[in-house]
Amino acid sequence: MKHILIVFFLLVSSQLLAQNKYSVRGTIEDKKNGETVIGATVYLEGTSIGAMTNEYGFFSLTAPEGTYQLVISYIGYEEIRTEVVLNANQTLDFEITESRTSLEEVVVTADGSERVNIREPQMGVTQLKAETIKQMPAVLGEVDLIKSIQMLPGVTQNGEGSAGFNVRGGAADQNLVLLDEAIIYNTSHFFGFFSVFNSDAIKDIKLYKGDMPSKFGGRVSSVLDVRQKDGNSKNFGLTGGIGVISSRLTAEGPLFNKKGSFLVAGRSSYAHLFTPAIEELKNDKISFYDLNLKANYEINENNRVYLSGYFGRDIFNIGNFLDNNYGNFSGNLRWNHVFNDKLFSNLSLIYSKYDYQVVLDFVQLDWIADIQNQHLKYDFGYYASDKLKLDFGLSGINYRLNPGEVSPTSETSPINYLKLDQKRAFEGGIYASAEHKLTDKLTARYGLRYSTFSRLGGQNIADYENNQPVVYNEDLGIYEEGEIIGETFYKKGKSIKNFGNLEPRLGLAYQLNDNASVKASYTRAAQYLHLLSNTSSVTPLDVWTPSGPYIKPQLSNQYAVGYYRKFNDNAFSLEVEAYYKDVENRIDYVDGSDLIGTNTIETEILNGEARAYGLEILLRKNKGKFTGWLAYTLSKSEQRALGGSAGGPGINDGKWYNTPFDRTHDLSLTGAYKLSDKWTFSTNLVFQTGRPVTYPNGQYEYEDLSIASYSLRNEDRLPAYHRLDVSAIYRPQNKKDRRWQGEWVFGIYNVYNRRNAASISFNQNEETGINEATRLSIFGIIPSITYNFKF
Amino acid sequence: MKAIIKFTLVLLGILFISCEDPVSVDLNDAPPRLVVEASLDWEKGTAGNEQTIKLTTSTPYFDSEILNDVLGATVRVTNTNTGQVFVFQDQNNGLYTTSNFVPVLNDTYDLEILYNGEIYTATETMTPVAEIIEVSQSLEGGFDEEILDVSIFFQDPEEEGNYYLMRFIEEGDLLPVLETESDEFSNGNLIDEFFEKDGDAGTQEEEFQVGDTVIMSLYGISEQYFNYIDLLIEQYDSGGDPFATTPSRVKGNCINLTTPNNYAHGYFRLTEVDIVSYTFQ
Repeated sequence: MKHILIVFFLLVSSQLLAQNKYSVRGTIEDKKNGETVIGATVYLEGTSIGAMTNEYGFFSLTAPEGTYQLVISYIGYEEIRTEVVLNANQTLDFEITESRTSLEEVVVTADGSERVNIREPQMGVTQLKAETIKQMPAVLGEVDLIKSIQMLPGVTQNGEGSAGFNVRGGAADQNLVLLDEAIIYNTSHFFGFFSVFNSDAIKDIKLYKGDMPSKFGGRVSSVLDVRQKDGNSKNFGLTGGIGVISSRLTAEGPLFNKKGSFLVAGRSSYAHLFTPAIEELKNDKISFYDLNLKANYEINENNRVYLSGYFGRDIFNIGNFLDNNYGNFSGNLRWNHVFNDKLFSNLSLIYSKYDYQVVLDFVQLDWIADIQNQHLKYDFGYYASDKLKLDFGLSGINYRLNPGEVSPTSETSPINYLKLDQKRAFEGGIYASAEHKLTDKLTARYGLRYSTFSRLGGQNIADYENNQPVVYNEDLGIYEEGEIIGETFYKKGKSIKNFGNLEPRLGLAYQLNDNASVKASYTRAAQYLHLLSNTSSVTPLDVWTPSGPYIKPQLSNQYAVGYYRKFNDNAFSLEVEAYYKDVENRIDYVDGSDLIGTNTIETEILNGEARAYGLEILLRKNKGKFTGWLAYTLSKSEQRALGGSAGGPGINDGKWYNTPFDRTHDLSLTGAYKLSDKWTFSTNLVFQTGRPVTYPNGQYEYEDLSIASYSLRNEDRLPAYHRLDVSAIYRPQNKKDRRWQGEWVFGIYNVYNRRNAASISFNQNEETGINEATRLSIFGIIPSITYNFKF
Repeated sequence: MKAIIKFTLVLLGILFISCEDPVSVDLNDAPPRLVVEASLDWEKGTAGNEQTIKLTTSTPYFDSEILNDVLGATVRVTNTNTGQVFVFQDQNNGLYTTSNFVPVLNDTYDLEILYNGEIYTATETMTPVAEIIEVSQSLEGGFDEEILDVSIFFQDPEEEGNYYLMRFIEEGDLLPVLETESDEFSNGNLIDEFFEKDGDAGTQEEEFQVGDTVIMSLYGISEQYFNYIDLLIEQYDSGGDPFATTPSRVKGNCINLTTPNNYAHGYFRLTEVDIVSYTFQ
């Protein structure tokens, strides 16, 4: 670590020597509740010197000696202007106030403020504040972070009721989802209908669609960085809501004589929610809940500690048929330390776990599985000069995966006890990145991440004949499991296989004028953990598996260029980005693969590749009574797997085929109109090309059944997906001084009751024996009503 | 095991505001292929000399009036252990029969078909099966505690790697229900398999009533046939729902030696089978 520091000091020393320069640093908070503000802009008027607050509200600027107007701006907040005489290093903390007029405005900005939007080399990133998300119409009024990011260009869902989201044609497991830096392995409740993020506990989110900063690693598609609120450090308050699906309650307030604050948020669905309506299911229980926790304490000006936690659970209890529960658990202890005016640091110790249990009563089987990790990371931000900012740090993650343990539930059960091999791994990362203002118009960001991954022992690894876990059967034209010729036992702590990858991340921004810029970026990323899923939809029961002797890490390259422009004093902005990415070693599944309950996953897969390219357009209106955005994406996403060492042509005859995430066209319109202080209306309109699927291309009779024959993969498509949602927010009284403030949210999801096909299945009618196609559609028109309050 | 995957779907079905309706879909039609249903099953306690092989061709998926019997093919089976050859006679209705077949457990047989100037071959071993030692009816055994179900019991042998195909059909029903089982999770145990029909309004199945008769067959099958039929059944049952494995081509063991790409659908299987009939009381 020391060496890196020295290198950076050397790098920047040339600039430091030239002139007397001083720095100003501080923290920006919201006056109302003391929440630190992420992404506010701080700049010196009349210069190009500026900075944005980091995830902890911290900023630092360096400028030559002199007197300046310091401006602090953040959309939706009143601008602060103050004169600073820069003749010594100083600390200035600010509190900003929400501007009265924009109280209910949609507050969406591309990475903070207008100035930096144009200048920063960072591409493909969108920040959404919790307020924005809360305003968008949602299924059954249940505010959903994951669904709201699907309104952005390049982000799609894989069908209603499918967990996760897809970024630029990538799979759901290629997204790194972080809640206060802790990895969240499953982002959904109810198998994908609702997200695990309680919007009352969320401050803001940032989605990086490919141009990932060097500090992030481990996934090849995107990073979704979700930050929880710190809690009101001024006053005690309660926030809550009563909806159709769930109720929420959040308590927050100051701690330790306003030196700190806390937040506890709970959300729970109503048990027996759907089931009483159905006579047969009256004894069943289906529910979810989650709990968010956050606390922080300012030890002194330079030190602050944070504790955050999340616990969520889904419970399905269906008669004597099955019991199923699953959920995420995470905790994070952080220490912010400001070394000096220029060096900010954060040390985090994080724990994450995801587990599930299935009890199938009718076969007397109990199945449990989990994945957990301990994560230690240390990140630094060095505000070297007005031209250079450095980020560097290191991280280590220790994984333990328990892919499955099967036990009989009774003496008479036909099931034998079975425990699949526990898997262990260590992922390390070290990075450094510089944001460098090369000229007044040209800014570069160059960074390098080196990641390592060690698959660790404590298990047997199968050895295969000719080292082939999968073998092509030339006669039958199918892939089959290889012949196991022995097993090698690796002791705990001994590494089975090691990987290391250099991941350069480069970005350039060239400012054409005050209102427009062009940018280009290149990102390489490595992913060592894979979610095994050979179904169209990701389910909570899918198994994570680490890279190892037979499964290689996924490696991606992404190239992107973009044009950014603002109009009418930033009332409108336009962002156009084009990207191309390729992913090596994308796992693909041989025809008829069975992933459940096997220690030898490698016998079911081939290492394939994927590629995706597209054009994204985002037009936004940021100010006025009407705010919102229009997003359009034209894209392609394909994959293939050649036979390689297994022989044969490969999966799907070795041909490229559409991934399930391929959407040629994807259009979303979201808008909010503020009619008066009492009424706000908002709407979503979505149109997407149908999901690629494989339909039958014939039938034949076998065992007295009509069997469908299928062609190559994903050559057909479901019908196009589209829908319109509306909602209205009514705030009965407008007295600011009243403690109790309430609002009603009325919503209609899928207004014109479009029956979007979640799937089309092909079955033989049991009575007539005739083949039929059946469409399954999930959400028809759904009205909802929610009451929210603040106290 | 499949049940584990499938329960997601079941949940989904019951849970939500979901809705199913028939739609018409335009499909691409593949050119016809030969379909070989060469199931040489030897029922316990019989001579097993009467055997039939059925040859048809595949048709477009939604065709309901089907004239696809294969006539004029030459079909023969050879026991590779003894060299004995069995010629199957064309009955001019898609069926090819013999009445002097000699089944020998664990012997390997070759199938050879000459059709349209192309030669198709397949190889398979006759696989024994454990006998059904008990049949019982109950209310508790199945998914629903208020509906009658029937179970068969059989003893899985000590050694690993036994595979089963079950075929259930109620007298008077058009379509059978097929299920597979392997001893992967239950080696050496007493295995029971239940059969229940739910009376949900959504399906046209009717629950079992006292007096209903069910015919249940337990086949011993090879691992390779298990892989084939398991996938076939899964795809048949799911028909492309999003929580099932993405459907794909299912290739059997009948190879076209003349034009390898023109492989046949279906399978050449040799099994021992135990069949019981049960009437609900």
